[in-house]
Amino acid sequence: MILRVKFNKKNYLKYIGHLDLLRLFQRTFRRAGIPVKYSQGFNPHPKFSIANPLSLGIESEGEYMDIELEDKVDIDDFTQKMNQVLPKDIRILRAIYPKENKSISSELSWALYGVTLEIEEDLSIEDIQERLDNWLARGGIIISRLRKQGKRKVMKEEDIAPLIGGIDVRDKTGSEVTLEVLMRVGEDGNLRPFDFIDALKASDIIKLDKDSVSLIRKALYKEDGDQLYEPI
Amino acid sequence: MIEKKKLDRVLNKVIKPARYIGMEQNSIIKDLDKVKVKFAFCFPDVYDVGMSHLGLHILYNLINQYDDFACERVFTPWIDMEELMRKEGIPLYTLENKEEVRDFDILGFTLQYEMSYTNILNVLDLSGIPLLSRDRSNDDPLVIAGGPCAYNPEPLADFIDVFVLGEGEEVTLELLNKYKEHKERGWDKESFLKDILDIEGIYVPKFYDVHYKEDGTIREMVPLIDEAPKVVKKRRVEDLDSMFAPETMIVPFVETVHDRVVLELFRGCTRGCRFCQAGMLYRPIREKSPSRLMDLARELVDNTGYEDISLSSLSTCDYSQLQLLVSSLMKEHGEDNVGVSLPSLRLDSFSIDILKEIEKVRKSGLTFAPEAGSQRLRNVINKGVDEEDLVKAVSYAFDEGWSKIKLYFMIGLPTETDEDVLGIRDLSYLVKDIFFNAPKEKRRGNFSVTASGSCFVPKAFTPFQWVSQDSIEEFRRKAYLVKDSIKDKKITFNYHDPEVSYVEAVIARGDRRLSRVIKRAWEKGCKYDGWREHFNFQLWQEAFDEEDIDGGFYAQRERNEDELFPWDFIDIGVSKKYLYREYQKSLAGQLTHDCRLACTGCGIRDCSMRGVFN
Ligand code: SF4
Repeated sequence: MILRVKFNKKNYLKYIGHLDLLRLFQRTFRRAGIPVKYSQGFNPHPKFSIANPLSLGIESEGEYMDIELEDKVDIDDFTQKMNQVLPKDIRILRAIYPKENKSISSELSWALYGVTLEIEEDLSIEDIQERLDNWLARGGIIISRLRKQGKRKVMKEEDIAPLIGGIDVRDKTGSEVTLEVLMRVGEDGNLRPFDFIDALKASDIIKLDKDSVSLIRKALYKEDGDQLYEPI
Repeated sequence: MIEKKKLDRVLNKVIKPARYIGMEQNSIIKDLDKVKVKFAFCFPDVYDVGMSHLGLHILYNLINQYDDFACERVFTPWIDMEELMRKEGIPLYTLENKEEVRDFDILGFTLQYEMSYTNILNVLDLSGIPLLSRDRSNDDPLVIAGGPCAYNPEPLADFIDVFVLGEGEEVTLELLNKYKEHKERGWDKESFLKDILDIEGIYVPKFYDVHYKEDGTIREMVPLIDEAPKVVKKRRVEDLDSMFAPETMIVPFVETVHDRVVLELFRGCTRGCRFCQAGMLYRPIREKSPSRLMDLARELVDNTGYEDISLSSLSTCDYSQLQLLVSSLMKEHGEDNVGVSLPSLRLDSFSIDILKEIEKVRKSGLTFAPEAGSQRLRNVINKGVDEEDLVKAVSYAFDEGWSKIKLYFMIGLPTETDEDVLGIRDLSYLVKDIFFNAPKEKRRGNFSVTASGSCFVPKAFTPFQWVSQDSIEEFRRKAYLVKDSIKDKKITFNYHDPEVSYVEAVIARGDRRLSRVIKRAWEKGCKYDGWREHFNFQLWQEAFDEEDIDGGFYAQRERNEDELFPWDFIDIGVSKKYLYREYQKSLAGQLTHDCRLACTGCGIRDCSMRGVFN
């Protein structure tokens, strides 16, 4: 019995890493009395997985996990019990029993990030949008990153332009600019937001203060043709 | 309150930022404007270490029970965080409200090891609080300290306003209530300090003067005002069942050293190992009842969601109803995948039986502590185990499927000869032989034995408070003697750096003149001295030289029977006479039995064990 859950992760709790988050949920299940299935063997572990783990330091308005349950639980009951024991900056938002037997990770292919940063030159929203559009249109945004190759990790160059679905400049107050960026996630290509920031900084398209960057994952989507949907 | 935006700039760049954010489950955030006394509790080490300390969870929950008080936590930032905080001008803050430490009424340190003392100065500095007690005004927080190292408070006398001696559950509340009274009346530090002198367990160093003899030893310690008692008695809680015990613990986000429910079974230990300070400080044994423990365990598991209950005490296997407790706990919590674990083991088959029950699963490493390599030396230190115990326990462990054994020893124990030291090698080989003497088909796992030798540090309030520590060269020679004698890949010998143990020994039996050295060392950049990679002996040596203080006087000097020690004004219950008698017996190689069998006359006047256990 799989329960699919959407939750958020806000404020200071963006500083909890993925493994810490797994531990937190494991304890929360126990405290909330959720009948999670345990693996067999010498070191039994609760069976649940979080799709596309968030990098440390990024907030989120919508994360997803699949939990394997021993018995079906009432969804409202589940949400209420969990939220009672979770820290206030992590909330269970929704939950469903999915009909299909596909894992949540395999369904997701895009993530929408909100990026707030301070720029060091005086530009209008339109100027910034134009520069970013040109940057994307030109293509060939090369980053180097460590890639697994067999047992070793090898530094490889990679073009991330195809992994960027689009950039929208949403807002600007003073020197603070807010962007929305669509980035690929999943097995067919995965762009890490900090790689995007580094590439943007290196491109010199806009001069930005890296220490001022703050990121929030606004949504994760599955793709159907040219349409994007939230999974639950 | 520190602004989030400002913190974000640094938190994005440090390792384990969750150390600095608070907000863990069961942390308590109060409205600081509504409480009467704000108490900042500091464990002067990094978060992951400090959060593993049971005392923190006890005091935190105790104090926060009261609406008038708020207790918030402070740890030392790790090196990377400290650097960024200094650069960005962020003062040290508490994790709960992210309020500056200097805005608190009281800053309380727990003193768990001497090598954290430079961190204390760092905490004061990062908070913007003057280091020296005499430089602090009515506007600065009152700085207090307690914990095991407070039993020799003198090396910190210049920095700490008030020391709290003994178990803190009752005395902390008395102190806070007094503070509240004074604050309501109009705060004046001086009159407050005078007013608390009649509370048992309170020591205020500024009300005493120390006179020295020509040879540098102490002639006398004189109270400067009439209210200051000549002898300060430590506090002891008599009945553990009725005493406050936390029913909840903060559950850290990051993994800490002890990430589990900690259940304190009892306090005290009466085995009487002569090197062990805790064994003398916390006498007599006071147990919690199994029913109380079962209740506490239930609450703690419910409130934390932890998957493991650790039974903690000085010598956990001495709990009189351990078997009953363990099986009851297993019965109640086993189904929910909650396990039980023991932090320390004794060398007997009884312990292994219990272990067998609880560790049905992991058969990895097992640790034993014979402490000394030869029987002669084990008698000297009154460690009541012999080779036969070890053989039995180890054979038993191998039979049960364990294959990795760790052995703990000390080097530099009083009267130690090279022959004793080489006993470490002999015991390690013995363990190996036991494993390989079993028929091949019965051997399981990949055998290894790791012996580690720490350098003996003589401590105050032990029978060895009179002895000289080995020199650094001697420690090293002995360590190599063992190391070079081991020629087997399956046996590893590790030893600890003698330099750290030397500085530790200086401070452990130091007087108030050492405050200057500690301050100087900190000014030179010493911090996190308990962390091997950060300890800098060169800087410490310079600090001693510049303050013209000879560390050898404290570490490497054998004392006369009648020498007055810096800590002698403290009454821990056990008498100095008893300690000296134990010292003499040790030199004669005579054992002293566990006083649960019959009182051995340690000097505790109103001992609750007499007539109960014996
Ligand atoms: S007074 Fe006697 S029974 Fe009590 S702790 Fe001391 S030696 Fe043991």
